[in-house]
Amino acid sequence: AAAAMPKHEFFVDMTCEGCLNAVSRVLNKLGGVQFEIDLPNKKVSIDSTHSVDTLLETLKKTGKNISYLGEK
Amino acid sequence: PSSRARSLVVHIEGMTCSSCVQTIEQHIGKLNGIHVIKVSLDEKSATIVYNPKEQIPESLQEAIEDMGFDAVLGDTKPQSVPHD
Repeated sequence: AAAAMPKHEFFVDMTCEGCLNAVSRVLNKLGGVQFEIDLPNKKVSIDSTHSVDTLLETLKKTGKNISYLGEK
Repeated sequence: PSSRARSLVVHIEGMTCSSCVQTIEQHIGKLNGIHVIKVSLDEKSATIVYNPKEQIPESLQEAIEDMGFDAVLGDTKPQSVPHD
C-alpha cells in the first residue's frame, strides 16, 4: 500500500449539484487526486501529492470562492 | 478583416442553478475582449459578444470547459448583421 498522502481541506463556495460536478471535473482533469466533496458544508478534502498552490489554482478555475482550510 | 464584434452561442451542459450561471457570467465576462455574456439556465446556453481579435470561439469554449462544464459551439455571426 502507498504511504498516506497528506489530505488537504478547502472551502469551496458550492451551492448545487452543478457546482459539485464542476469541482470534480476540474480535479479529475488535473489528475493524481483523490477527493471527497461535502456539498452541504462547502468543503472539499483532497488526497494528493500536488502542492497546495497547484490544488488552489485548479479549484480557482471553477470561478468560485476558494480558501485553504489546512491539513486534515 | 473587420474589427466588428462577433456574437457566439455556446451550449453548456452541467449548469443546475443560478449560481452556476452567475459564476460563468462573472468568470468569462472578465476575460479580455468580452463585451457581453448572457447565460441562460433554461436554454443551457451562453450568448457571448466578443472582439474576434482577442478571442476565438475555441478559446471561449475552452475557458468554459476549464471551469468544469461541457461546452459545445453553436453559431457565430457578426453582431452588426441582424439575424431574421
